[in-house]
Amino acid sequence: MEVEVKDKIYSLGNARGVFEKEFMPHMDAMYNFALKLTGDEDDAQDLVQDTCLKAYRFINSFEPGTYAKAWLFRILKNNFINDYRKKSRGPSKVEFEWVEQSISGEDEAAEPAYFADLQAETVNDMLGDEITAALQSLPVDFRMIIILCDLEEFSYEEMAKILDIPIGTVRSRLHRARTLLKTKLVNYAKTKGYN
Amino acid sequence: MKTSCEHHQDCMQLIQKILDGEASVAEKEDFIANKDQCLPCQKGYELELSLKKNLKSKCQLSCPEQIIHKIRLKLFLLLILISILIPLFC
Repeated sequence: MEVEVKDKIYSLGNARGVFEKEFMPHMDAMYNFALKLTGDEDDAQDLVQDTCLKAYRFINSFEPGTYAKAWLFRILKNNFINDYRKKSRGPSKVEFEWVEQSISGEDEAAEPAYFADLQAETVNDMLGDEITAALQSLPVDFRMIIILCDLEEFSYEEMAKILDIPIGTVRSRLHRARTLLKTKLVNYAKTKGYN
Repeated sequence: MKTSCEHHQDCMQLIQKILDGEASVAEKEDFIANKDQCLPCQKGYELELSLKKNLKSKCQLSCPEQIIHKIRLKLFLLLILISILIPLFC
Protein backbone atom coordinates (compact mmCIF):
# COMPACT_ATOMS: atom_id res chain seq x y z
CA MET A 1 0.00 0.00 0.00
CA GLU A 2 1.35 3.42 -0.97
CA VAL A 3 0.94 6.06 1.68
CA GLU A 4 2.71 9.36 2.02
CA VAL A 5 4.97 9.34 5.05
CA LYS A 6 5.20 12.52 7.09
CA ASP A 7 7.56 13.35 9.93
CA LYS A 8 5.08 13.01 12.71
CA ILE A 9 4.75 10.49 15.52
CA TYR A 10 1.61 10.24 17.66
CA SER A 11 1.65 8.95 21.19
CA LEU A 12 -0.61 5.93 21.69
CA GLY A 13 -3.28 8.07 23.37
CA ASN A 14 -3.15 10.73 20.67
CA ALA A 15 -3.34 8.11 17.93
CA ARG A 16 -6.47 6.69 19.50
CA GLY A 17 -7.93 10.19 19.77
CA VAL A 18 -7.20 10.96 16.12
CA PHE A 19 -8.72 7.63 15.15
CA GLU A 20 -11.94 8.31 17.08
CA LYS A 21 -12.28 11.90 15.92
CA GLU A 22 -11.22 11.64 12.28
CA PHE A 23 -11.97 8.07 11.21
CA MET A 24 -14.93 6.75 13.20
CA PRO A 25 -17.44 9.26 11.69
CA HIS A 26 -16.88 7.56 8.31
CA MET A 27 -17.75 4.01 9.40
CA ASP A 28 -21.17 4.00 7.71
CA ALA A 29 -19.68 5.20 4.41
CA MET A 30 -16.84 2.66 4.63
CA TYR A 31 -19.20 -0.20 5.38
CA ASN A 32 -21.47 0.81 2.51
CA PHE A 33 -18.53 0.96 0.12
CA ALA A 34 -17.14 -2.38 1.35
CA LEU A 35 -20.52 -4.12 1.11
CA LYS A 36 -21.12 -2.90 -2.43
CA LEU A 37 -17.61 -3.91 -3.49
CA THR A 38 -17.64 -7.39 -2.00
CA GLY A 39 -21.36 -8.15 -2.27
CA ASP A 40 -21.08 -10.16 0.95
CA GLU A 41 -21.75 -9.00 4.52
CA ASP A 42 -19.01 -11.10 6.14
CA ASP A 43 -16.41 -9.98 3.59
CA ALA A 44 -17.54 -6.37 4.01
CA GLN A 45 -17.14 -6.60 7.79
CA ASP A 46 -13.66 -8.09 7.43
CA LEU A 47 -12.70 -5.47 4.84
CA VAL A 48 -13.80 -2.59 7.08
CA GLN A 49 -11.97 -4.03 10.08
CA ASP A 50 -8.78 -4.62 8.07
CA THR A 51 -9.01 -1.09 6.67
CA CYS A 52 -9.38 0.42 10.14
CA LEU A 53 -6.46 -1.54 11.53
CA LYS A 54 -4.31 -0.55 8.53
CA ALA A 55 -5.36 3.09 8.94
CA TYR A 56 -4.34 2.90 12.59
CA ARG A 57 -1.03 1.27 11.67
CA PHE A 58 -0.26 4.07 9.20
CA ILE A 59 -1.82 6.85 11.26
CA ASN A 60 1.47 8.76 11.37
CA SER A 61 1.13 9.41 7.65
CA PHE A 62 -2.29 11.03 8.12
CA GLU A 63 -2.42 14.82 8.36
CA PRO A 64 -5.21 15.94 10.77
CA GLY A 65 -7.46 18.45 9.04
CA THR A 66 -7.01 16.84 5.63
CA TYR A 67 -9.81 14.77 4.13
CA ALA A 68 -9.82 11.63 6.28
CA LYS A 69 -12.65 10.04 4.30
CA ALA A 70 -10.71 10.11 1.02
CA TRP A 71 -7.63 8.72 2.80
CA LEU A 72 -9.65 5.86 4.31
CA PHE A 73 -11.41 5.09 1.03
CA ARG A 74 -8.06 4.85 -0.72
CA ILE A 75 -6.82 2.35 1.85
CA LEU A 76 -10.08 0.39 1.60
CA LYS A 77 -9.92 0.30 -2.20
CA ASN A 78 -6.30 -0.89 -2.18
CA ASN A 79 -7.13 -3.45 0.47
CA PHE A 80 -10.04 -4.72 -1.59
CA ILE A 81 -7.98 -5.01 -4.77
CA ASN A 82 -5.07 -6.73 -3.05
CA ASP A 83 -6.89 -9.09 -0.71
CA TYR A 84 -10.58 -9.43 -1.50
CA ARG A 85 -11.14 -8.98 -5.21
CA LYS A 86 -10.13 -12.54 -6.10
CA LYS A 87 -12.59 -14.14 -3.74
CA SER A 88 -15.45 -11.66 -3.99
CA ARG A 89 -18.38 -12.19 -6.25
CA GLY A 90 -18.88 -10.15 -9.41
CA PRO A 91 -17.23 -9.82 -12.80
CA SER A 92 -13.46 -10.12 -13.11
CA LYS A 93 -11.06 -7.52 -14.42
CA VAL A 94 -11.17 -9.18 -17.85
CA GLU A 95 -14.94 -8.85 -17.92
CA PHE A 96 -14.65 -5.23 -16.83
CA GLU A 97 -12.22 -4.42 -19.63
CA TRP A 98 -14.49 -6.16 -22.11
CA VAL A 99 -17.51 -4.19 -20.95
CA GLU A 100 -15.61 -0.92 -20.90
CA GLN A 101 -14.40 -1.44 -24.47
CA SER A 102 -17.67 -2.85 -25.72
CA ILE A 103 -19.69 0.17 -24.71
CA SER A 104 -17.07 2.77 -25.54
CA GLY A 105 -16.26 2.21 -29.21
CA GLU A 106 -15.56 5.23 -31.37
CA ASP A 107 -18.49 7.17 -30.07
CA GLU A 108 -17.39 7.54 -26.38
CA ALA A 109 -20.28 5.58 -24.85
CA ALA A 110 -23.06 7.10 -26.87
CA GLU A 111 -26.46 7.27 -25.22
CA PRO A 112 -28.56 4.48 -26.72
CA ALA A 113 -31.85 5.62 -28.21
CA TYR A 114 -33.83 3.37 -25.87
CA PHE A 115 -32.90 5.57 -22.90
CA ALA A 116 -35.88 7.63 -24.03
CA ASP A 117 -37.91 4.77 -22.46
CA LEU A 118 -36.41 5.46 -19.04
CA GLN A 119 -38.08 8.41 -17.36
CA ALA A 120 -37.12 10.20 -14.15
CA GLU A 121 -40.50 9.18 -12.70
CA THR A 122 -39.72 5.50 -13.34
CA VAL A 123 -36.48 5.78 -11.38
CA ASN A 124 -38.29 7.66 -8.61
CA ASP A 125 -40.83 4.81 -8.37
CA MET A 126 -38.15 2.12 -8.07
CA LEU A 127 -37.37 0.64 -4.67
CA GLY A 128 -33.94 0.94 -3.09
CA ASP A 129 -33.41 -2.81 -3.49
CA GLU A 130 -34.10 -2.57 -7.22
CA ILE A 131 -31.65 0.27 -7.78
CA THR A 132 -29.09 -1.43 -5.54
CA ALA A 133 -29.48 -4.68 -7.53
CA ALA A 134 -28.81 -2.79 -10.79
CA LEU A 135 -25.77 -1.14 -9.22
CA GLN A 136 -24.50 -4.48 -7.88
CA SER A 137 -24.78 -6.04 -11.33
CA LEU A 138 -22.22 -3.60 -12.76
CA PRO A 139 -18.55 -4.61 -13.11
CA VAL A 140 -16.76 -3.66 -9.91
CA ASP A 141 -14.76 -0.73 -11.36
CA PHE A 142 -17.94 0.86 -12.72
CA ARG A 143 -19.75 0.21 -9.45
CA MET A 144 -16.87 1.73 -7.52
CA ILE A 145 -16.85 5.01 -9.43
CA ILE A 146 -20.63 5.48 -9.17
CA ILE A 147 -20.50 4.86 -5.41
CA LEU A 148 -17.66 7.35 -4.96
CA CYS A 149 -19.39 10.02 -7.04
CA ASP A 150 -23.11 9.64 -6.42
CA LEU A 151 -23.29 8.10 -2.95
CA GLU A 152 -20.22 9.60 -1.33
CA GLU A 153 -20.03 12.83 -3.37
CA PHE A 154 -16.28 12.87 -3.90
CA SER A 155 -14.97 15.37 -6.46
CA TYR A 156 -13.38 14.14 -9.70
CA GLU A 157 -9.98 15.10 -8.29
CA GLU A 158 -10.55 13.12 -5.08
CA MET A 159 -11.78 10.12 -7.07
CA ALA A 160 -8.68 10.29 -9.26
CA LYS A 161 -6.51 10.11 -6.13
CA ILE A 162 -8.51 7.30 -4.54
CA LEU A 163 -8.52 5.21 -7.71
CA ASP A 164 -5.02 6.15 -8.92
CA ILE A 165 -6.25 7.17 -12.36
CA PRO A 166 -6.16 10.47 -14.31
CA ILE A 167 -9.14 12.86 -14.04
CA GLY A 168 -9.94 12.31 -17.73
CA THR A 169 -10.33 8.60 -17.02
CA VAL A 170 -12.56 9.38 -14.03
CA ARG A 171 -14.83 11.42 -16.30
CA SER A 172 -15.03 8.86 -19.10
CA ARG A 173 -15.35 5.85 -16.79
CA LEU A 174 -18.11 7.57 -14.85
CA HIS A 175 -20.00 8.34 -18.04
CA ARG A 176 -19.68 4.74 -19.21
CA ALA A 177 -20.69 3.40 -15.82
CA ARG A 178 -23.83 5.54 -15.83
CA THR A 179 -24.64 4.48 -19.38
CA LEU A 180 -24.42 0.84 -18.33
CA LEU A 181 -26.44 1.46 -15.17
CA LYS A 182 -29.21 3.07 -17.22
CA THR A 183 -29.14 0.08 -19.58
CA LYS A 184 -29.65 -2.23 -16.59
CA LEU A 185 -32.46 -0.05 -15.26
CA VAL A 186 -34.21 0.12 -18.65
CA ASN A 187 -34.12 -3.68 -18.93
CA TYR A 188 -35.30 -4.08 -15.36
CA ALA A 189 -38.10 -1.54 -15.82
CA LYS A 190 -39.33 -3.42 -18.88
CA THR A 191 -39.39 -6.80 -17.15
CA LYS A 192 -41.24 -5.36 -14.15
CA GLY A 193 -43.71 -3.43 -16.25
CA TYR A 194 -42.71 0.05 -15.08
CA ASN A 195 -43.98 2.79 -17.38
CA MET B 1 -39.18 23.67 -28.48
CA LYS B 2 -36.78 21.19 -30.12
CA THR B 3 -37.85 17.55 -29.93
CA SER B 4 -34.49 16.18 -31.05
CA CYS B 5 -31.00 17.30 -30.06
CA GLU B 6 -28.10 17.14 -32.48
CA HIS B 7 -25.62 17.50 -29.59
CA HIS B 8 -27.33 15.11 -27.23
CA GLN B 9 -24.18 13.12 -26.47
CA ASP B 10 -22.24 16.26 -25.51
CA CYS B 11 -25.23 17.62 -23.63
CA MET B 12 -25.54 14.43 -21.54
CA GLN B 13 -21.88 14.65 -20.57
CA LEU B 14 -22.32 18.32 -19.67
CA ILE B 15 -25.44 17.51 -17.62
CA GLN B 16 -23.48 14.95 -15.59
CA LYS B 17 -20.64 17.43 -15.10
CA ILE B 18 -23.11 20.04 -13.83
CA LEU B 19 -24.84 17.63 -11.44
CA ASP B 20 -21.46 16.43 -10.16
CA GLY B 21 -20.56 20.03 -9.32
CA GLU B 22 -17.65 20.02 -11.75
CA ALA B 23 -18.92 22.43 -14.44
CA SER B 24 -17.79 26.04 -14.76
CA VAL B 25 -20.21 28.95 -14.34
CA ALA B 26 -20.10 29.56 -18.10
CA GLU B 27 -20.94 25.92 -18.84
CA LYS B 28 -23.87 26.04 -16.44
CA GLU B 29 -25.20 29.25 -17.96
CA ASP B 30 -24.90 27.85 -21.49
CA PHE B 31 -26.79 24.74 -20.51
CA ILE B 32 -29.57 26.60 -18.68
CA ALA B 33 -30.08 28.86 -21.69
CA ASN B 34 -30.32 25.80 -23.98
CA LYS B 35 -32.37 23.56 -21.69
CA ASP B 36 -35.63 25.48 -21.98
CA GLN B 37 -35.49 25.15 -25.76
CA CYS B 38 -34.66 21.43 -25.96
CA LEU B 39 -36.96 18.62 -24.81
CA PRO B 40 -34.36 15.76 -24.94
CA CYS B 41 -31.98 17.85 -22.79
CA GLN B 42 -34.76 18.58 -20.29
CA LYS B 43 -35.66 14.89 -20.08
CA GLY B 44 -31.98 13.94 -19.85
CA TYR B 45 -31.42 16.42 -17.04
CA GLU B 46 -34.43 15.13 -15.09
CA LEU B 47 -33.34 11.50 -15.55
CA GLU B 48 -29.74 12.12 -14.46
CA LEU B 49 -30.92 14.16 -11.47
CA SER B 50 -33.39 11.48 -10.35
CA LEU B 51 -30.78 8.76 -10.77
CA LYS B 52 -28.27 10.66 -8.67
CA LYS B 53 -30.83 11.51 -5.97
CA ASN B 54 -32.23 7.97 -5.78
CA LEU B 55 -28.79 6.38 -5.60
CA LYS B 56 -27.91 8.70 -2.74
CA SER B 57 -31.15 8.29 -0.81
CA LYS B 58 -32.04 4.63 -1.44
CA CYS B 59 -28.74 2.75 -1.54
CA GLN B 60 -27.21 3.67 1.84
CA LEU B 61 -26.85 1.37 4.84
CA SER B 62 -25.56 1.94 8.35
CA CYS B 63 -22.55 0.12 9.66
CA PRO B 64 -23.67 -2.57 12.16
CA GLU B 65 -22.80 -1.63 15.74
CA GLN B 66 -21.06 -4.98 16.24
CA ILE B 67 -18.37 -4.04 13.70
CA ILE B 68 -17.69 -0.72 15.41
CA HIS B 69 -17.54 -2.56 18.74
CA LYS B 70 -15.13 -5.17 17.32
CA ILE B 71 -12.83 -2.50 15.87
CA ARG B 72 -12.72 -0.56 19.15
CA LEU B 73 -12.00 -3.79 21.02
CA LYS B 74 -9.17 -4.76 18.65
CA LEU B 75 -7.61 -1.31 18.95
CA PHE B 76 -7.90 -1.45 22.73
CA LEU B 77 -6.18 -4.86 22.81
CA LEU B 78 -3.52 -3.58 20.43
CA LEU B 79 -2.81 -0.62 22.71
CA ILE B 80 -2.62 -2.88 25.77
CA LEU B 81 -0.22 -5.19 23.93
CA ILE B 82 1.99 -2.30 22.84
CA SER B 83 1.94 -0.81 26.36
CA ILE B 84 3.15 -4.13 27.76
CA LEU B 85 5.75 -4.85 25.09
CA ILE B 86 7.40 -1.42 24.83
CA PRO B 87 8.79 -1.36 28.44
CA LEU B 88 10.20 -4.87 27.91
CA PHE B 89 12.38 -3.70 25.01
CA CYS B 90 13.28 -0.21 26.25
